[in-house]
Parts: sequence; structure tokens; C-alpha cells
Amino acid sequence: MTTLDFPGTAGTYSPTPSTANLADILERILDKGIVIAGDIKIELLDIELLTIRLRLFISSVETAKKAGIDWWETDPALSSRAAENALARENEDLRGRLAELEGRPAGTPRRTRAKAGA
Amino acid sequence: MTATDLSLPHAGTAGGDATATCVFAVRRDDAPEWLPESPGHAGGGPVGLLALPGGGLQAVVQPVAAADFTEEALRRRLSDPVELERCARTHHAVITAAAADGPVVPLPLATLFTGVDRAVAALADQRAHFLAALDRVTGRAEWAVKVHVEPSEPARAAPDEGTDPATVGTGAGAAYLARVRGRERDRRARQEAVLRVAGHVHEVAAAFAVAAVRRTPHSTEITGKDRPQVLNAAYLVDDARAAELVAAVRALDGTHTGLDVHIEVSGPWVPYSFTRSGEGTGL
Repeated sequence: MTTLDFPGTAGTYSPTPSTANLADILERILDKGIVIAGDIKIELLDIELLTIRLRLFISSVETAKKAGIDWWETDPALSSRAAENALARENEDLRGRLAELEGRPAGTPRRTRAKAGA
Repeated sequence: MTATDLSLPHAGTAGGDATATCVFAVRRDDAPEWLPESPGHAGGGPVGLLALPGGGLQAVVQPVAAADFTEEALRRRLSDPVELERCARTHHAVITAAAADGPVVPLPLATLFTGVDRAVAALADQRAHFLAALDRVTGRAEWAVKVHVEPSEPARAAPDEGTDPATVGTGAGAAYLARVRGRERDRRARQEAVLRVAGHVHEVAAAFAVAAVRRTPHSTEITGKDRPQVLNAAYLVDDARAAELVAAVRALDGTHTGLDVHIEVSGPWVPYSFTRSGEGTGL
């Protein structure tokens, strides 16, 4: 854990990288986003989601890995590809249901506007 | 130190082996000679020092393969918990090493520029901020204080009011409701007491600090289900007062009878929480 013995000598930094709590490090180095200073920008939203999701697994990454849990690869909040897949599936599903309601095969073009929620 | 200390063979060039410049921290250049020993990010060049125009400041930088640090590559890597942890600990290790003999302004994880010239120009724009931040943290360090609520003693078995003659029959429903309300009252009272303790610990710690930040407490996914966190704070403390803060806060541990709170102090940290503009409440 993070409780560290007071080193006695001020000015040296005792939370060695190997023992400091990862959550403590992350909230310091990610806080307020990665976007501020550099040329390469990541949406702040991505990072916020990342840190939120992160809180769920950082205590047990190794355990999760061993158990073959790879939800972060399919979690829409973490993977844009997964998000696209999920949206595509949902979209397809909704189109199918709409077609069913309109009494035509799912593949045929619709007469009405393609606006969602119409 | 000058920029020639840094070997960046392909900095800013196009092509498959192009390098980007990763910046870890900014420090004063009159600090004792410091040769970065941390290897930095995997696959990158040596960590080095880059003189900033105007004199007095140098950046701790590393040339890294641009292909590994594109927006898409970064998003992918930081979404991988193992890779994220590696990046985070590397970043922290370089910054902590750079702060060993003088104050630093740490920069956020993955502060990347397309090349040395871009890094110098962008960092030079923030010169006034860096100088002010370095002045602010010189001779000071960040200390973290957390308060957890330990598992409470098993809830006392409620008297079995069902067998009480006064509560059988039509009175039983009312008695049940009264019990539920009583439990809810107790729970709220306990919660308020715990939050008061958190506030009190914060006040005690803040009395030794020149600035303080209260962060959102970690969730129970991190702390453990039975161990909710109620205070997650950081304090910027004069080195001369650090021992007092640690002693004062630790003295509070165990003094809140019946509440089972546990207080942790960690530090000294590089003052991450007090070197960005607008961060930290002046006290």
C-alpha cells in the first residue's frame, strides 16, 4: 500500500516507482488530461473514461490477465473499434426491426428519412 | 547544459524511423550536474536534458519512435492496462529521478512534440509559468493523506422485537418500520461522523501546508469493498514542516473511537498536484 515510512531526510523522494500505488501515480500524471502541452492530442473524454475504467482493474490486472479477461478490448468506453462494432450491431438490429414494422425485407431501401428516432 | 547533450539523430524527420520528443519535466539549469540514468520509455533514445531559450531552464526529454506515439498508437497503448502501467511508472521514475537534487515541474504523461524544435518553442511559451511553479515548490514537497473507513464491528444483533408482546399483531408492521428507520438513522449518523473525521484530518494536515488539494476519493474497486476511502488529499509542505505534518496526522490515527478510520500518509512526492496553473488551493 501507500503508507511509507517518513524518510527523515527532506528533499529526497521516497515513493519509489516500484512501490508507489499505481492509482496514486495515475491521478497525478493524468489529472486534467494529457492534452495540455504537446503536439499529439488525445481527447480528454477518452482519458477520463480511461481513468474511470482503470479504477476497476488496476488492482487486479495480473489476475485478470491470468483469467483471460480482456474486457478492455471489447468495452466500448475503451476501444473505439469495439464502440463502432457495438454501434454497427445496434444500428443493424434497429434497421431490421424498423423494416419488420414497415412490413418489408431488411435489405430494401426505405421511403422515409433515415433520421434516428423518426 | 546545452541541447548538444542530447543526441536525437532523426529528430523531426519524416519516415519510418522518425522520432518524436517526449518531455517529462522542466527544471532549473543551475541544479547540480545530473545525468539521467533512467532508461525512459522502452524503445526510445537516451533520456537527456534540453536547454530552453532565455537561460535558467532545462527540459528532461527523450527521443521516442514517432510511430509508437501517434494519437492512435497512444490511445491503443494506454487502453492496455499493462502498457499503461509501464508508461505511467516510467514517467514517474524519470520525474522522480530528475527531482532528486532540485525542484522540477512535472509534465503530464505523454507530453509529446513532433521534434526538438517544437518542444523548445512550446516550452519556451510557458517559461513564466515554469519559473513561477519552480519558485512555488522550491524547498517543498507534496504529501498525500488518505482516510479509509475500516470494516465496522459486526452490526450488533438487533433485539428480536418480533417476540415482544407489544409488537405482535397489528403493531408488528409499525415496529418493523421503526427498526428500518432506526437503522437508516444510524447509518446516516455514522456516515456524517466519518465525513467530519475526514474534514478534521484535512484541517489538521492543511495547517502545516502552503497549499492543498482534495481529490475524489478512490472507489472501493481500488481500496477494497470493505474499506471505503473518505479523504484523498495532497498538501504542498515546506520540507522543514514535513515531519510535523506526518506526526500530527499519524497522531490522529485511532483516536476516533467507534469509527474505525485509518489514516495513511505518503510522501514526499514530486509536487505533481501543485505545479499546474490553477491547481491547489492557497492556504
